[in-house]
Amino acid sequence: MIIYYIKLACLSLWQTRSLSLLAILVIAVGVSATMTTYTINYMMTKDPLPSKSDRVFLVRLNNWSPEAAYRNRVKEQPPTYISVQDTVNLMRQDKALGHVPIAGFKDMLKLPEQGAIDANMTFVRATSKDFFSTFEVPFLYGSGWPQDSDQNGEQVAVISKKMNQTLFAGENSVGRSVMLGEHQFKVVGVLDDWFALPRFYGDSMRAFKPPRDIFVPFQTQINLELWTSNLQSYECWKEPENTTVAALWASECIWVFFWVELSSKEKKPEYLAFLDAYVQEQQALGRFQRPIVNELQSGSEYMQERRAYSSDSKIAVWLAGCFLVLCLLNAMSIIMTKFQGKAAEVALRRAVGASSFDLVQQYAFETSIIGLLGGVFGLVMTHVCLYVSSQLYTHLSKDIMSMSVEFMLVTVILSVVSSLLFGLFPIMRAIGVQPAKQLKSL
Amino acid sequence: MLRMRKLEKAYRTDTVETQALYPFDLEVLQGEFVAVVGPSGSGKTTFLNITGLLEAASEGEYWLDGADVCSLNDKQKSRLRNEKIGFVFQSFNLIPELNIYDNVEMPLRYRKLSTAERKARVEHALEQVGMGSRYTHFPSQLSGGQQQRVAIARALAGSPAFLLADEPTGNLDSKMADGVMSLLKEINEAGTTIIMVTHDLVQATQASRVIEVKDGVINEVSRRTPAIA
Repeated sequence: MIIYYIKLACLSLWQTRSLSLLAILVIAVGVSATMTTYTINYMMTKDPLPSKSDRVFLVRLNNWSPEAAYRNRVKEQPPTYISVQDTVNLMRQDKALGHVPIAGFKDMLKLPEQGAIDANMTFVRATSKDFFSTFEVPFLYGSGWPQDSDQNGEQVAVISKKMNQTLFAGENSVGRSVMLGEHQFKVVGVLDDWFALPRFYGDSMRAFKPPRDIFVPFQTQINLELWTSNLQSYECWKEPENTTVAALWASECIWVFFWVELSSKEKKPEYLAFLDAYVQEQQALGRFQRPIVNELQSGSEYMQERRAYSSDSKIAVWLAGCFLVLCLLNAMSIIMTKFQGKAAEVALRRAVGASSFDLVQQYAFETSIIGLLGGVFGLVMTHVCLYVSSQLYTHLSKDIMSMSVEFMLVTVILSVVSSLLFGLFPIMRAIGVQPAKQLKSL
Repeated sequence: MLRMRKLEKAYRTDTVETQALYPFDLEVLQGEFVAVVGPSGSGKTTFLNITGLLEAASEGEYWLDGADVCSLNDKQKSRLRNEKIGFVFQSFNLIPELNIYDNVEMPLRYRKLSTAERKARVEHALEQVGMGSRYTHFPSQLSGGQQQRVAIARALAGSPAFLLADEPTGNLDSKMADGVMSLLKEINEAGTTIIMVTHDLVQATQASRVIEVKDGVINEVSRRTPAIA
């Protein structure tokens, strides 16, 4: 019977092709608008590290002036970044599974054999080897640097696939060298395609921009005193002793985001207790003269606090949902018109013995096919809309404008289910005809 | 086989009540060929619709092949229609986008028969009406008489006990009408009970019984021994 219903549905769709096409397009437009906005919103607000979000935390220490709370907040809350000396101390104490400082600088990058004119200004991420394991970064060639490189501040680097393509034509560049300013770095790894979305681990202003293209050990930045003052936010409640970079490193100025990966979520209280103990220890040395309000904050919590997610996008999803309902109401009206022309056929089928349920099934198949085609068209239109969006908003990561297989399936299912739901009324109207009155009009 | 007791039909609105059929009793036995005659608007089609379970009576009892029609729900009525009744309409009522085979097969689709059985029944019905070579034609490719033969084949395919025909020759020229009437008589002689609404008194005389409907009142006009008792 299913094949029979599909055959009847196809014949009917062809017979009323203009109305059917209109209904399909209306559904497709609604589905496309909804799924485009929903996809973008979802990609912007999704859990950036779902497998570890309950055990990867931003360390927040209340390192600020004894005179006033950080940013004069009524409810005292620690800054989002910490000082160099605390970063180094916490890494040395090694109480977590992974320690990931997020620092950086910018410098001119070129190959050793290239002239100065070929150098390009490049933003460099200074971090630790744990960055790659904690944030599950995939490698195309090589791997992250060894522990020794972190401890000794060796001049090693991991580069992105894009940079590897630019500098080395996509070849395996492990063992090759690059120049950052006057310093030569040896490439130890090349990343595969990787976008953490939202890119939660650094400055929230760059949450939807691609990651840096070159990574070096944090200790190397410290050792080589590579500092770019206008690159990132830094705050000092007490001025460094002098203007040298070494003095900045030794100061109470805060600018390093420091993430830790714990072995399990149960370890969180333990690590928090360690942080409290550490701050108490530092207090004994005359530092941290404010109340201890240390925090371990997840990536999602941090992004929410920093308002990286615009409330506009949520409103846009609601509006798109309303637009979908509007489109479905339109489609409902078109389907109703379409089915009205079928009153005589319905009457005939009833006369020859079709029950109401038989007819509901027949028209539900037809409505489902309209929904299915609407969903497929909607999917194509969604991809076009996402592509256009990615071209318009080039400063945002292209990954925001992409759809997973699950979302594609959801799109089609949404279209079929909503078409069936909104098609129910026209179906019930169509089969509710009095056969006796309609049989003369076939 | 078909028994109606004090059956009547009234159409009611908030302000008006129209009596379409006044209370009547009727029995139709197996194998009878009943012609229902009367002027336009007299209630013939209403009578046929009630007989064919397309419309419900307002009052009275109706028994069809042992089933109390008034107590049946929608699904049971559909099933009874499908198994016991075949319809032939004045305007043929073939679905234009389905070919002849599919049109004739339609009632069988609602009877959960195997493909092979459906095929055998459709082929037999089309052979019976002399349309065995037109399976793949569409209604628009046939003459009026041929279309009515296909409609009769559709009614016969389900081997119904009753064939209800509403002005089956009303849209045909006299030659085609004669052909269709001959076919109906053959079908009746083969054992199918026929109730036919007609304007044509000459055609009515070919039936074993003639019932007249006038202003909603049903009266028996004449009766002959049925072809098969």
